[in-house]
Amino acid sequence: MRAKNRLGVIVFPAFDWAISPTHPERQERLLYTQDQLREEGIFDIPGITEYKPDIASAEDMSRVHFCIPDVAGVTTESHRISAGGAVRAGRLVMEGRTDKAFALVRPPGHHAMKVVHGNRGFCNINIEAVMIEHIREHYGQKRIAIVDTDCHHGDGTQDIYWHDPNTLFISLHQDGKTLHPGSGHIEELGGPNAYGKTINIPLPPMTGDEGFLHVVDNIVLPILNDFRPDLIINSAGQDNHYSDPITNMMFTARGYAQLNEKLNPDIAVLEGGYSIQGALPYVNCGIVLAMAGLDYSFLHEPDYDAQQLRQELRVTAQIRRTTDAVLENYFHPKPHKNYEPGSFVSRRKRIFYDTDMISDEQVESVMRCDECAGLIIIESVSSINPPALCIEIPLGACARCREAGVERHEQELTCGRYRILQLINRPEKIYGNP
Amino acid sequence: MRVGLDVGGTHTDAVVVDTTGIVCSAKVPTNHSNLISSVMSALINVLGAAPSPVSAVHLSTTLTTNALLEGKTEPVGVLVSSGPGIHPLHHRIGDAFFVVDGALDHRGAETLPLDAVQLGHALSACREREVRCFAVVSKFSPRNAAHEKLMAAALAKQSDFVTSGHMLGGRLNFPRRIATAYFNSAVWRTYNCFADAVEKGLLELGMKPGIAILKADGGTMPFAVSRSLPVQSILSGPAASIMGITALCDIHGDAVLLDIGGTSTDIAVVAGGAPLLVPDGIGLNGRQTLVRAMVSSSLAVGGDSALRASADGVSVGPDRCGPCMALGGSVPTLMDACNYGGLSHVGSLESSHRGMAALARQLRRDTSAVAREAVSRAVTAIKAAVDTLVGAVNEKPVYTVREMLHPERIVPRKIYMVGGPAHALSDAVSSAFNLDVFVPEQHAVANAIGAALARRTCDLELFADTERGVKLIPRLSRTERIDRSYALDHAKDDARQALLSLLAGESSADVEIVEASSFNMIQGGRLAGKNIRVQCQLRPGIQEAYLSAFRRGS
Repeated sequence: MRAKNRLGVIVFPAFDWAISPTHPERQERLLYTQDQLREEGIFDIPGITEYKPDIASAEDMSRVHFCIPDVAGVTTESHRISAGGAVRAGRLVMEGRTDKAFALVRPPGHHAMKVVHGNRGFCNINIEAVMIEHIREHYGQKRIAIVDTDCHHGDGTQDIYWHDPNTLFISLHQDGKTLHPGSGHIEELGGPNAYGKTINIPLPPMTGDEGFLHVVDNIVLPILNDFRPDLIINSAGQDNHYSDPITNMMFTARGYAQLNEKLNPDIAVLEGGYSIQGALPYVNCGIVLAMAGLDYSFLHEPDYDAQQLRQELRVTAQIRRTTDAVLENYFHPKPHKNYEPGSFVSRRKRIFYDTDMISDEQVESVMRCDECAGLIIIESVSSINPPALCIEIPLGACARCREAGVERHEQELTCGRYRILQLINRPEKIYGNP
Repeated sequence: MRVGLDVGGTHTDAVVVDTTGIVCSAKVPTNHSNLISSVMSALINVLGAAPSPVSAVHLSTTLTTNALLEGKTEPVGVLVSSGPGIHPLHHRIGDAFFVVDGALDHRGAETLPLDAVQLGHALSACREREVRCFAVVSKFSPRNAAHEKLMAAALAKQSDFVTSGHMLGGRLNFPRRIATAYFNSAVWRTYNCFADAVEKGLLELGMKPGIAILKADGGTMPFAVSRSLPVQSILSGPAASIMGITALCDIHGDAVLLDIGGTSTDIAVVAGGAPLLVPDGIGLNGRQTLVRAMVSSSLAVGGDSALRASADGVSVGPDRCGPCMALGGSVPTLMDACNYGGLSHVGSLESSHRGMAALARQLRRDTSAVAREAVSRAVTAIKAAVDTLVGAVNEKPVYTVREMLHPERIVPRKIYMVGGPAHALSDAVSSAFNLDVFVPEQHAVANAIGAALARRTCDLELFADTERGVKLIPRLSRTERIDRSYALDHAKDDARQALLSLLAGESSADVEIVEASSFNMIQGGRLAGKNIRVQCQLRPGIQEAYLSAFRRGS
C-alpha cells in the first residue's frame, strides 16, 4: 500500500485547550480521530507523513483580520497554532514537499470575519484565510477556490473574500432558514468587484450522500472548471454527518471520502464537526485516504445503514431546483447594477457573536474598481469596543485605490474621530496600528 | 561476574566483566548456519579463563533477525478481526491469513460480535494445512482484548503457540500489531530450540546463570520472557554497540553517538543521558513493527569506503571493495586517506601512500589535498546524517499548546565515537560539529560490554474508561472493573505497580511515566466519564554497580 498522492497531515488536537469544559469545542474533540488514525497505521503508509504545525505570527493574522482592539485581545495561543497548522499545510504544498495536505486542527475558523471582536461560532481567527494570504504573500498571487463543506454557512470566509475576484468561495451548507448562522442564500453572490465569485448552495435538512455528490458533480466541478483556480481548498467541516448532534443532515464518512476524491483539493482544513465519537474518526480517516488516493471501500461507521440513510425524494427534488438556480446565477448572471468606477458602494452588516455575546454594526464601503479588488473601508461599532475604522488596501491594489486608502488613513489619523484606527496595506505590508 | 555476548555478522564477541572492569574477552568467527556453536565456543573460550562463578549471561543474537530476513520461519496462521477502516487484506502477511468479521471501536466497545462461523472456517483451514503457530489480532484490541481472547481460546486445541496482539503492548497500530504478532509466532519454535540449547550448554559447563536477551531498545529481557516474546530480540546488534558506548562513557545531557565501522557509520541520539527510543517501533522485511528500538540511522561511510575520482573531486563510498590498501586491499579507502594524512597508523603506510598517490594522479591534484578532501567529505556526510536525524527528532509532532510553546529540543553537546576509524576521524568530526569528541578505550569488544552491562527495559500502557467501567493493561492481558471515581493518579499508581510487578524485584530502577492524560468525556453537555491513558517505562541504561569501573578515564 502506497499513497498515490504524497499527503502531509498536520494533527493538532490541542489536548490542553477548550472554550469551556463541556463546550463542543473541547479537549476531547479530536481524541478518537487521533486514535483511529493511529490504529489504522495511517502514518506508516509510504507517502503519508505527519507534520508539526507552525505557529502563525501576529503578522499572519493581521494581514487578514482587523483584530479589535488588537491581535492579543482576540486570540489565544491555540488560535495561533491552529492557524499555524493551516499555514504549515499550505507551505508543504507550495514548497513541493507533499502533493496535498490536510490540517486536522482545532479550534476552527470559518465563522471569523474580516473584523474580529471575539469568538463567533467557535471561531476567532479564520484559519483558511490566514493560510491563503500567507501563501499569496510568500508564493505569489494565486487564483484560489475555497469549497466549504461544513454544514454551517461559512459566513466568515464569505465576508473576507466578498470583494476578491481572485478567490472563488463556494459554500455547501444546511439551509440558513433551518440552521445557524442563518446566512448563505443563493442570492448572496459577492461584492461589486467580485460579483459571482461567491456561491452559496443551501441544502435542505436530511440531505444525504446522493445530494452532496450531485451538487459536487453538477455545480462545484463545472464552476471550478470554469474558474480554473491554481489551488483548491476544502474547508472541511464534518458536521453534515448523520450523527452530528447540532445539525440535521445525513452525509456519511464514505460520502465525505467520495466528495474529496471528486473535488481533489490541494489542501483540506478541518472546520466543524461535533459527533466526535460516531463521525469524526471515520470521516477524517476517509478524507485522509481519499486525499492520498487510497482505497476507502471498507470505511464506514459502525452503525452505518444504507437503507436508513437513503435520501428522500422530496429532498432530491429540492436539491435539483437549487442546482438549477445556482448554475443559472453563475453561468448566466443577471446584469449587475452598474456602479461608476471610483465610487464607493456600501453595505450595512449586523454581526452577532454567539459565543462571546457581542453585537457589531458595520458599514462596509468598497471602491468600485475594474483594476483590483478595491479599497475597503469598514466602520465597526460594537457592544464591547469603541468605534473603529478599518481601511484595507488589497493585495495587488491599483494606484487609485492605494492612494485613496493612504489618503483616507492620514485624514483619520489627523482628525482622530475614531479611538481605534486600523490599516491593512497589503502592497506596503503595513498592518494594524501604524 | 557476568558475561556479555554479541553475535555479530563476522565475529561473535564475548566478555567477562565484574565490578572492577573487564576480566577477559574472546572473539570467535560467527557460524551463521549454527549460531549455537558460535555462542557456545565463545562462551567456553571466555569462561575457560574466568576464575569465579558467573551470575548472569547477557546475549545479543542475530538468530531471530536472520531467520526472518532469510525466511527460515514456520508458517503462521494469522487470524484478524477488523472494524471499518483500511481493508484488512491490505495487511495480509504470510500464506495463512484469515479475516474474521467482528469489530471494536476506538473506545473498545464491541460494535460487531466475532463471527463464530468464519472463525470455524479459519480454524479448519489451518488444521488442514497443519499450521501449529498462530497470531490473533483485532483492531483496537489494546482497548478491549475480548475478541483476541476468543480467537486464542478457540485455537487452544490445535496450536503449539499463539501470539495475542494486545500482549505486544498498548500502543495503537493495527498493521504493526499484525506484523509483530506474525513475526513473533514465525520465529517462536526456532528461538525456543536455541534457548533450550543455550541453557543445556551452560548446564553442561556446570553453570546455571540468569540469562537475559538484548533487545533493540538497548535493554534486556529475562530468558523466560523472551521465550514467549522472541520478536523482541530482533535487530539488537546496533543496541549492543550503543550500550557499549554508554557503558564506556559518562554521558550526561544530550549527545550524539557514532559507531564508525568498516562499511558504515551508525548514529544514535542520547537525550538526558539515555539513548532516545523511537515512538513506535523498528521495521523489518519491509514491515513496521511494535518492537521498540533506539532512534538511529546508518550511512554508508566507513573506514573501508572506497575512494574514487569523480567529476567533482574524490568520492567516499558508498561501496567497499575489500579492506583498505594498508591491509592488503586493492582500492584506496577512507582509512588509507587517514594513514596518508598521519591521522592513523594502520597496516602498511607505504601501501596507503601508493594508493592515495595513484588516486591523486587521476585527479591531477596534490596527494595530501586529496587525502584531506576524502576525510572532509566523509565527515561532512556524517554531519549531514546527524543533523537530519536530530532534526527529525525535534520535528516530532506534539499535541498540546504547552508543548508547542515550550518544545523540548535535543541539542547535542558532545560526540562519542567508537569503531576502527574513530580515533583517526575524531579531530575532523570535532571541528565539523564544533563539539568535543570523546573516544573511549577498549572499543574492540564494546558491543559485548554493552550487552553485559545493559539493564532491563520494560514498558506498559494502561487504559481506563470510567464510563465503561473498565481498566486494561494490554501487555499483562489484565482487565479489571473500576468505578467512576477512578482518576489519573490511580492510573499512574496502577501502571507503576504493574511495571514493578513485572520486574519481580530484580530492579528498582526508576519507573518513568512517559504519558499520562485524562480526558473528560462529555455527552449531552454532561460528564459521562473519564478516558485515561498512561504509559510508563524503564529507560535503557547501564547496571550501576559497574559504572565506576568502566567509566574510568572518561
